[in-house]
Amino acid sequence: MELKTKLSVLADAAKYDASCASSGSKRERPKGGLGNTEGMGICHSYTPDGRCISLLKLLLTNVCIWDCSYCVNRRSSDVRRARFKPEEVVRLTIDFYKRNYIEGLFLSSGIIQNADYTMERLVLVAKKLREEENFGGYIHLKAVPGASEELLKQAGKYADRLSANIEMPVQKDLDKLAPEKTIGEIEDTMGTLKAGIDESRERVRKGAEPARGGDTFAGAGQSTQLVVGASRSSDSVILKKAEELYKKFKLRRVYYSAFSPAEFTSPDLSHTPTPPMREHRLYEADWLIRHYGFSASEITAQIADGNLDLTKDPKLAWALAHRQLFPVDVNRASRSLLLRVPGIGVRNVDRIVKIRRHHRIGLADLVRLKVSMNRAKWFVVTADHNPDVFKLDKTNLMTRFRRPAEQLSLFAPGPATVVMGEI
Amino acid sequence: MIYADPGVSFAEWRKAARGLLARGARPDEVIWSGGGQAALFRNDAADDAAQVEALRVPAEFLKLAEAVACYDGAERWSLLYSLLYRIAGGRRNLLEIESDEDVRSARLMEKAVNRDVHKFHAFVRFRKIEIEGEEVFAAWHEPQHFTVERAVPFFVRRFGDMRFSIFTPKLCSHWDLEELKFSPGVERVALADDTTEDFWLTYYRAIFNPFRLKVGAMKKEMPVRHWRTLPEARLITELIEDAGRV
Repeated sequence: MELKTKLSVLADAAKYDASCASSGSKRERPKGGLGNTEGMGICHSYTPDGRCISLLKLLLTNVCIWDCSYCVNRRSSDVRRARFKPEEVVRLTIDFYKRNYIEGLFLSSGIIQNADYTMERLVLVAKKLREEENFGGYIHLKAVPGASEELLKQAGKYADRLSANIEMPVQKDLDKLAPEKTIGEIEDTMGTLKAGIDESRERVRKGAEPARGGDTFAGAGQSTQLVVGASRSSDSVILKKAEELYKKFKLRRVYYSAFSPAEFTSPDLSHTPTPPMREHRLYEADWLIRHYGFSASEITAQIADGNLDLTKDPKLAWALAHRQLFPVDVNRASRSLLLRVPGIGVRNVDRIVKIRRHHRIGLADLVRLKVSMNRAKWFVVTADHNPDVFKLDKTNLMTRFRRPAEQLSLFAPGPATVVMGEI
Repeated sequence: MIYADPGVSFAEWRKAARGLLARGARPDEVIWSGGGQAALFRNDAADDAAQVEALRVPAEFLKLAEAVACYDGAERWSLLYSLLYRIAGGRRNLLEIESDEDVRSARLMEKAVNRDVHKFHAFVRFRKIEIEGEEVFAAWHEPQHFTVERAVPFFVRRFGDMRFSIFTPKLCSHWDLEELKFSPGVERVALADDTTEDFWLTYYRAIFNPFRLKVGAMKKEMPVRHWRTLPEARLITELIEDAGRV
């Protein structure tokens, strides 16, 4: 098969993994080598699906012995199959990198023979890039659940990021849709990675190894992905699992991938497409957990059927259910309370805290800071008169927010950017 | 009225601003120009600056001013002078008040410049060409602001073992493995084809997911004005049309 055809088949097969982050790792260009990472990810291009291209995202092969019913590459699927030689992936990565198309490589694979053999093949590509090509760019490798500790250790030595995908929030879902996988085995793999990362941090802390490059184990940490909407598990279950994973394994990111049933026939799968807004709301909720001091149970306490409200963002939904805590006085409230005001983001909270040391904050200040007043104005007291705050207790306040759902985006990186990773 | 024209140079603006401040010129007494129309204006501030001693301003202001100076808009110089005048006049903490109109405007310019640098790093597309048997990488890029000098050191850190040239209408830069050199901007440059571009287009086509069309999100991050320097952009229309049919 021609290389161009393989590239086409194996990029197509890789696109359902949402992660494309290239940030969080610092590595100076090796002497006489090619490439570096400076901590900030770069999105080199964007496709019309709104997603970014930061890494060359490929499967080593889409041949797979497993039969996960939500996966396009499952054994029983009739997609075209292909398999790269390791040196072909190396060549493409270097050629693309030198032209500044990409930050590096994200390599995954279908399961060939067994977990160890597959992991070994992935590690081999990374090893060739680092040792033969003297490559200093970003490498993200898939950690195959069940691969040996020794192989995972090697992977961590070459890769900036590793990810073992959990796919489903509960074992019941896996039993039905991915019978070869167990949450226990996936979490064991995450645990091994965490141990490697922690050890390496400790060595850096003690000054035994340089913070940049060298032997740092997966300097950009580990992430995972959940498929949303293939099983019946609700957002509450998903968010609870995500929060647990963040705590247990110090994951950098949990990615949510909306399932689209178009090419799937298994009777166990949902046959309605997952609304993209559901994926977006999960990212917003995830953001609230990681940066706004919310717990998963706070976010999900007020939702009736366990799924996030698609018509309003989760922070607004929470605030409307907790109106007794508002209005919040922007001139006096603590940082953690300001973070809970709908329409005010982290950066503006920090600006407000600074400004109020110098003068009392009025509505005009908030407008100039580009606070989203459509949402914030009902919930804040300012130094001047804010007439809207008196409507806070009106039962019909909800109706004020009925606008096209697309416009409700709360967070600086919008739905598309969130999927793309940490920039 | 006093006329001042630092052109596109931050050092010149700094010199002029020190002189003006020493004479006590109020912001509304100064007419600033810069960015190419130098000949149209008198330049009163150029001469009397040399003997003024350095003025102490917060480091944060210098950092902001250096970024704002790269903004392609003549209003940047008068805005910087207003800020400096107010800071020197005793408002040392002015920059902490992000809701102040001048501070806000300057921050927005700084943001635009930083974004332009980031997009510079993202959107340069090298082509490998051979010149007298030597491998050289060359690119044509169109930055929106005066960001070449800020953006190019990144490529030296990353591609230090590759000879490269980046041509832009504002300023061109050349790395010869030892030294980074600059030359005046050019209108256009024709670069020989590079077969790797076909592989890149193959990849772009395959990684696109036609089941989720979000053209607005793409355009927000990859503005249409950059498309003419991005080889993959020529596929966009076709991909969107085909996606409508799936």
